[in-house]
Amino acid sequence: MTFGAFAWKNLTRRPVRTLLTAGGVALAVAVAVSLGGFNLGYRRAIAGSIEQLGFQVMVMAKGCPYEAATMMLKGGTGLLYLPEDAHAKIKTDPDIEAITPIFIGIAEKQGASISDAPSSGAFTILSGVDAASFAAMKPWLKFKAGQGYDGGRWFTPGSTDEVVMGFEAAEYEQRKVGDVFYASVTPSGKTDPVMHTFKVTGVLERSGSQDDGTVFLPLKTAQKVFGREGQLTIIGIKLREFNGIRMREFEGRWMGIPEVQVVSLEQVKGALVSLVGTAQTMVAAVAVIAIIVAVIGVINAILMSVYERIGEIGIMKAVGADRGQIFRLIWTETLLVCLAGAAAGCLLAVIAAGATDAALRHLLNIGVTRSLVRITPELLGGAVLGSAVLGLLAGVWPARRAAALHPVEAIRSNE
Amino acid sequence: MRGDILISGRGLCRYYRRGSETVRALDGVDIDVRGGEALGILGPSGSGKTTLINLLSALDAPTAGTLTIDGRRVDGLSENALVDIRRGTLGYVFQQFHLVPTLNVAENVALPLLFLGRKPDPAELARVLRSIGLAGRAGHLPRELSGGQMQRVAIGRALIIRPRVLIADEPTGNLDRETGDAIFELFLKAVREEGVALVLTTHNHLLAARCDRTVTLEDGRVKQETHGRPSPAPDALAPSAFKPT
Repeated sequence: MTFGAFAWKNLTRRPVRTLLTAGGVALAVAVAVSLGGFNLGYRRAIAGSIEQLGFQVMVMAKGCPYEAATMMLKGGTGLLYLPEDAHAKIKTDPDIEAITPIFIGIAEKQGASISDAPSSGAFTILSGVDAASFAAMKPWLKFKAGQGYDGGRWFTPGSTDEVVMGFEAAEYEQRKVGDVFYASVTPSGKTDPVMHTFKVTGVLERSGSQDDGTVFLPLKTAQKVFGREGQLTIIGIKLREFNGIRMREFEGRWMGIPEVQVVSLEQVKGALVSLVGTAQTMVAAVAVIAIIVAVIGVINAILMSVYERIGEIGIMKAVGADRGQIFRLIWTETLLVCLAGAAAGCLLAVIAAGATDAALRHLLNIGVTRSLVRITPELLGGAVLGSAVLGLLAGVWPARRAAALHPVEAIRSNE
Repeated sequence: MRGDILISGRGLCRYYRRGSETVRALDGVDIDVRGGEALGILGPSGSGKTTLINLLSALDAPTAGTLTIDGRRVDGLSENALVDIRRGTLGYVFQQFHLVPTLNVAENVALPLLFLGRKPDPAELARVLRSIGLAGRAGHLPRELSGGQMQRVAIGRALIIRPRVLIADEPTGNLDRETGDAIFELFLKAVREEGVALVLTTHNHLLAARCDRTVTLEDGRVKQETHGRPSPAPDALAPSAFKPT
């Protein structure tokens, strides 16, 4: 028999207490791992979603940069518009590698043509784009192939009745190439919606971005449908060399255009990350409190276990155990409880990652498509290691108390 | 070796502070324990029996006097130094069995070896289990044993290290007379067959009379020392005083 096996057997004598103590540790570890996973996943999801926009800089109407960022990521109402001639001016900038004008509008979904899936929502995002520059900005966009999807292509630039549907938009609407797509749009300045009929020329493969839920149509057509001729929502720009200096230089050249702001997607990323910073701090505080409570629970449980076994500890000392061995035994018990709790907590966090992601997605509706919780082996390893360190610290006091017991007094304690 | 002095105490004193009062639990006791002899310590409650046995077993240090165990001076040593004295030399049996409830009989018996850093030798373990009559119950947990059987496990736990001195404090105090007799016989068997010295405290004069020598304490002092019936030679013993249970 080894010290480890002996310590484990000692823990099994009060299985409920051991389980509850390990459960407290498990809960704290699960919260800490989920929070760590959220920290990792959220940043990656933001970075991934912004990456999928395809450009580094946005030019848009002046307003809240947070709103602008989330609008780009998930669409939204209350859009602001900038004059189209800004595009003509800015595209002459020598630092620009690629530029694409985008018009975004919201259409009401229509009765029979709509999937009943609750996730389909009540609106469809219509995005008016210049097909050539937009596709060049996002080379990863591919047309879906297969029965009913073959022959997919971008609409012809001057067409007024052609659309390309994102993967999810087509799924929800149950549309294939050649099908009709209905959109009910209330033009600017009007109160009554107007029904428009389009032909689907292509369905895009899933990209994992906001493009999946978008219906694309020619820029001019979109502007006309929404009654906003000569207006854009954003201009997406990719610079030849993107760094802080170039960005500031570029911003300085174009910030003089009235009602227009130049926003770096790095700024957007920072803004979105800081947006949940406070919430993360609060959750971290909860995790710290949970860990403190768990550590106190471990100390209490092990102390109780020591007090219940004073006589036994006295006998162990009488038959040859020195202070160090008693300390080691109690320390090992504490470590085992914490490691068992850590393992259970990691398992819990991994199992619950999907639910945690859904809950966070519900709370933080910012339109990122990737998972908000990313639990990595390094994170789990860190949690187990951290639990072991806390276990060792928590075990010091009970182990010292046990080691310091005088054998005679300990043996006589029950008499 | 039989007859050699294993423990020698001279002028042993043990005082305790109780509030402003000093309690003289032991006050100038001279005592020797020889190899292969059974020494019974008698006396009324509060006479100093347990205090004396704690000193003789290096569980406690005397306030005054000199104590030598297996040739090493014990008085004035630290707790860890006392552990070194106890290890491998002294075996203990107490009135409270204090078995580890989650360890089976064999594991409880082998427990001291864990602290000595030795792996149990299966043959040696089997021998000890046979000697205490529990070979058939090696895998049983303490809760499955009677009081007498638990005390036998405690004796096995003391014998597994092959001690030179077996120290027992009221070992039959929690047992009925018949079981107590059987346990006492087991101690005598260890003395006769293995040549260990036995130091035993008891209230039971009949049991004490079966020891080679008895020391009676009163108020922390030796009141009387009696030499009893000599132990029979090992070859005169029956094969086993106990039937396995």
